[in-house]
Amino acid sequence: MSEIVVDNLTHTFGKGSASPLTVLDGINLKLESGSFNAIVGTSGCGKSTLLKMMAGLFDPSDGQMTLDGEVIQGTDRRRGMVFQQDAVFPWMTVARNVSYGPRLRGASRAEQAEIEEKWIRMVGLTGFEDRWPRELSGGMRKRVDIGRVYANDPDVLLMDEPFGALDAQTKERMQSDLLETWSATRKTVVFVTHDLEEAIFLADKIIVMSARPGRVHHIEEVSLPRPRTNDMRLTDDFLAIKRRLWAMLEH
Amino acid sequence: MDKTETLPRDTIMPLRGLKNRLSGRLVLGAASVATVILAYVWITNLPNNNPALLPPIRDIVGAFFTNVASGNLATALGASLFRVIMGFFIGTSLAVLIGCLIGWYKVAEYLFDPLIEAVRPIPPLAYIPIIIIWFGIGEFSRILIITIACFMVCVVNVIAGMKNVPQVYVDAASTMGATRLQVFRTVAVPAATPFIITGYRIALGAAWTTLVASELIAAQNGLGFLLQEGRRYFLTDQVMMIIVIIGACAFLMDRAFRKIQARLMVWSEARE
Ligand SMILES: Nc1ncnc2c1ncn2[C@@H]1O[C@H](COP(=O)(O)OP(=O)(O)O)[C@@H](O)[C@H]1O
Ligand SMILES: [Mg+2]
Repeated sequence: MSEIVVDNLTHTFGKGSASPLTVLDGINLKLESGSFNAIVGTSGCGKSTLLKMMAGLFDPSDGQMTLDGEVIQGTDRRRGMVFQQDAVFPWMTVARNVSYGPRLRGASRAEQAEIEEKWIRMVGLTGFEDRWPRELSGGMRKRVDIGRVYANDPDVLLMDEPFGALDAQTKERMQSDLLETWSATRKTVVFVTHDLEEAIFLADKIIVMSARPGRVHHIEEVSLPRPRTNDMRLTDDFLAIKRRLWAMLEH
Repeated sequence: MDKTETLPRDTIMPLRGLKNRLSGRLVLGAASVATVILAYVWITNLPNNNPALLPPIRDIVGAFFTNVASGNLATALGASLFRVIMGFFIGTSLAVLIGCLIGWYKVAEYLFDPLIEAVRPIPPLAYIPIIIIWFGIGEFSRILIITIACFMVCVVNVIAGMKNVPQVYVDAASTMGATRLQVFRTVAVPAATPFIITGYRIALGAAWTTLVASELIAAQNGLGFLLQEGRRYFLTDQVMMIIVIIGACAFLMDRAFRKIQARLMVWSEARE
């Protein structure tokens, strides 16, 4: 079980200063356990802020979020996050990055090796265990990042535009890989993107946000069957959703 | 997985071009050093050259062998190296310890940063008189001066390194369940190592600078003492020889340090 409930959450940066900025305003959400949720919205509408608060990196100025009824406060390994920026530690090899979380909790050499082997294989980086991050392409580093978060075995996976900087082909392959891994583990995923097609392809539920201040504008339940395949991207159902959401974002 | 997605830098870089560039660089470097030496030889061979001011190279080499034979050079070198290494080691160790705390923990910053900022502009050599008044002209004073110099230049770099740790690494570690101490140990310190190592290298230079100054003022042995002796008895060839020795020592230590740096920084994009 890992259900996230966002309850009337509001966030203002620089509260009490000369120029406060209300980024999120009255957000209410219920993200079911094991579901794949996407958040879309124009840039600057507060998606990253919302996700970081779910991770517990800072507290909302008003309202709250709960995970299985417990108020989210501070970071916790139960809520893993893939950041919008490159967060792979450049001073660790691929393998050491992947086993970083378990090592924090004193995993033995053997346990680390097992975890490394498993997750490096899952993200398709077998053979690159001992490489430094600087030797990898951006797409490969993102895989390390995702493998590292998975290897830490959180209940909730928060992903902030993880594929934003990738070329179209790599992106599609990584989306399919992600769905495969997700269906094997069934963690609750919150996936931020500004790419509508990506959101529709991946998610059960798409939260469309409006900007300034960020509000929940619409919630789209995606009923496309699973497993999702690439040819679904061109079906009428898929395109109908895309058109509808597109029109909303235009406003 | 297609392997075209990545190519290690070394494979991309045309190897032949790199080799050519390297050897070209060596040739140019050797040429400039040779030119200076040749110019010196030419000047010292002019009929109106005064060897008391510009001793010919054979005299400088002669002074070298005289001092090696008498054991003076070995003693001086030993004494000076000991001071440099002690001062460097103590100074940089303190700098890393205190710099990490100041750069990372707000309380330590508020406590110590004003102090460091106030003391920083004072050149370390300015402490020499007060140190001599307090501690005399013994070994302790000389090492203390070098320690202060190394500490000051190193700590600034360590603090900068800790303050430049990218927030996203800290956030990533925290969301994976790292405690504050674990973030400090496994993220902040390694992320700051490029700065810290630069601090070490600058400190090494500072150690040699202050060594000579402290030995010029107060020492019965050491390279600085031989310099001073050479001036007093007009042994210009000895003075020249010691200058070359100091330059060579500082150069070799810096080279050795670069090797260590390259090894520690294999992970870094900016490694040399
Ligand atoms: N730490 C901060 N302090 C002040 N303003 C911030 C901070 N972080 C983000 N903002 C502002 O909040 C707004 C939303 O940012 P963000 O959540 O990153 O948007 P998105 O991820 O949807 O593009 C932006 O206008 C941004 O400038
Ligand atoms: Mg963002």
